[in-house]
Amino acid sequence: MSFLRSRPFSALFLVLLLALLGWIWQERVALWAFPDIISAYTAKEYCSCRYVMNNEARYCHSYVKQWLPTSRFVDDASSKRVTVSGMGRSNSAVWMGERQGCRLQ
Amino acid sequence: MFKGLSLIVMLLLSHPAHAENWPAEQWSTGPVITGPALQALETYAFPPRDDSTRTGIRTDALLVIRDGQLIYERYAGPTTADTPHLTWSISKSLMATVLGVAYGEGLFKLQDPVQTFYPPMKKHPDVTMADLLHWASGLDWQEDYEYAPLKSSVVAMLYTRGHQDMAAFTAEHAEYAKPDQAFRYSSGDSGLLAAALKTIVGPKRYPDYPWTALFDPLGIHHAVWETDATGVFVASSYAYLTARDLARVGLLMARDGRWQGRQLLPEDWVAFNRQPFAHYKAHQDDAVPGGQWWLNRAVDGAAQPWPDAPADTYAALGHWGQAMYVIPSENLVIVRYGDDRDESYQHNDLLRLALKAFAQKVQP
Repeated sequence: MSFLRSRPFSALFLVLLLALLGWIWQERVALWAFPDIISAYTAKEYCSCRYVMNNEARYCHSYVKQWLPTSRFVDDASSKRVTVSGMGRSNSAVWMGERQGCRLQ
Repeated sequence: MFKGLSLIVMLLLSHPAHAENWPAEQWSTGPVITGPALQALETYAFPPRDDSTRTGIRTDALLVIRDGQLIYERYAGPTTADTPHLTWSISKSLMATVLGVAYGEGLFKLQDPVQTFYPPMKKHPDVTMADLLHWASGLDWQEDYEYAPLKSSVVAMLYTRGHQDMAAFTAEHAEYAKPDQAFRYSSGDSGLLAAALKTIVGPKRYPDYPWTALFDPLGIHHAVWETDATGVFVASSYAYLTARDLARVGLLMARDGRWQGRQLLPEDWVAFNRQPFAHYKAHQDDAVPGGQWWLNRAVDGAAQPWPDAPADTYAALGHWGQAMYVIPSENLVIVRYGDDRDESYQHNDLLRLALKAFAQKVQP
């Protein structure tokens, strides 16, 4: 109790920190997966835009643009493989065939 | 004299039945519609397109079938008549239609437990095929796309933790309610249907089943349906069809599952698709859920979701403004593809304007 009275702000900070750590622990699976979203989404939806819907590359770039940035983008037209990096993660999508379209690897 | 007159009346009345149109390799075209009502529709659906801000209504395709004939189509942006456009969640209604053919083969019943066909669902032994079709599995699914990406089950299913085996990812979810008790829109429920279908038709027939069961009989030649790494169709999201081909499915539905001389879907299957889920509560969603289709029905004390359209209107709806409306009482099928990134587009507005332009009956 005396700690609470003498150092009220430190005590509050400690409580908030513990709450934050608790939340991180509880959401650890979702938090770990979160950075993959932007590169996986961009690779998959670009692949389908380009090789399933047969739209032009320029259009597909603007079509997949989201508020999160991507750092690296490779569209290998010969193998129809799209690789995108962002938030420290990298993901690829590949065109599988006429009926199967694209699949995230 | 009386006999002759009644014969003439009968002939006049029965005329539309004789003139039943079906698409062959292409749709036949009906009378060209022009005038201010059509102009108003086009002003609404095709405003100047802003590709830099991506705001406002951004229609990619609008196509109208009346009495089995193509009476209107227009494309915008990069989309053409040959583009197999992403349908997003229209895929759910398409998977239900594929399932309907299997149902017609007598391969499953609506009350069958899903675990019979998909063993990972033993964790949720009481969930039936009907519950999945109603989005009422009771699984604790979070459907938000862009706005809550951390907690979104659908984002995790499509892009991160679930993407290799989407049905298994769904089955891992906890229960928040007993099956058949509550509606909660779930791409996971729809995905489980696609996983169940693999056992229902057998792994040999499965990879071609959407084509052999539905697309080929309807003359649809350019359908794409993406799968996860286990080969299960992404029933929630990833079917691609041209607007003209999607309208063929609409015509099949408008004619109660009959395609020319063949009853492809049992009539009771289509009736189930169009029956509101009994425990749906008013305003839980934008329209009333039936069996993987959306209904314009007044239920639970609420008005019809689309007040300017007939009560028998129903639809397959998808992310970013994808829609196919079926209006049996007007013999209309309307396909609308879009790339809407905000909430400007409203189903009721499109339906009101389209009915003014294309309906033959007098609107109330």
